[in-house]
Amino acid sequence: MKLGVFVNQYTKQNDTLDRLKADKVGIILVQNGVYNATIKEKGVKSSVLDKGTEVYALSEDLQSRGLDPSGIDSKVKVVDYGGLVDLVFNDYEKFIWL
Amino acid sequence: MASKKFLFMVDKLPYKAESSRLALTHAIASQTVDIHLDEDDEMEEPVIAFVGDGVLNCMKGQKALECYGVTSLEMHIKNALLTDIKVLICKEDVERLGLSEDNLIMDAEDIGADMQSEIVPFDDILQQMEKSNHILYF
Repeated sequence: MKLGVFVNQYTKQNDTLDRLKADKVGIILVQNGVYNATIKEKGVKSSVLDKGTEVYALSEDLQSRGLDPSGIDSKVKVVDYGGLVDLVFNDYEKFIWL
Repeated sequence: MASKKFLFMVDKLPYKAESSRLALTHAIASQTVDIHLDEDDEMEEPVIAFVGDGVLNCMKGQKALECYGVTSLEMHIKNALLTDIKVLICKEDVERLGLSEDNLIMDAEDIGADMQSEIVPFDDILQQMEKSNHILYF
């Protein structure tokens, strides 16, 4: 199964993410989830970034929060709404929203 | 003239909910209501403090208006400074989140404000809580 996981929260832990198993897990950071792409608490990057095979962040949500897309973690691919639609239709079979 | 002190504390992230926007608009309303009061009326002195993850409301360069057509929290914070509201940002949380003055809205000179934000230890915010007549938590 190719599973896309929308993360729209900035939280310290996400038990559900820890338990997911799939051939491919894509984390899609939207809304306040995009803080996971940039904020390093006490110098440590968000653990959410280690959960997925691929990690994406929505550029509009980064910019609206004053987060520079060029300054995010190298693992994260920045996508706009068009790119997000492409992911939904082409790259993943199922989606969940955490 | 007597005055009542209000502390608006914000510990929620911006945009997902309206909490921080409400705190700012209420604080600005408290400050600007003075123009409708008589000399004998009790004045209001609002202070806004950003603590915890709430300090992320103070990020510079927010493009919410361009991306989503909604006013940014940056615009509201600058309006608060323009109306001479004291804006406090918790130092410990700024450091924990790996931020610095360079990332944060420290002034609103571009719209003519004299007031500047202050990054202060949480103890200073606690003192502000003690001095306030009312604490409103958002």
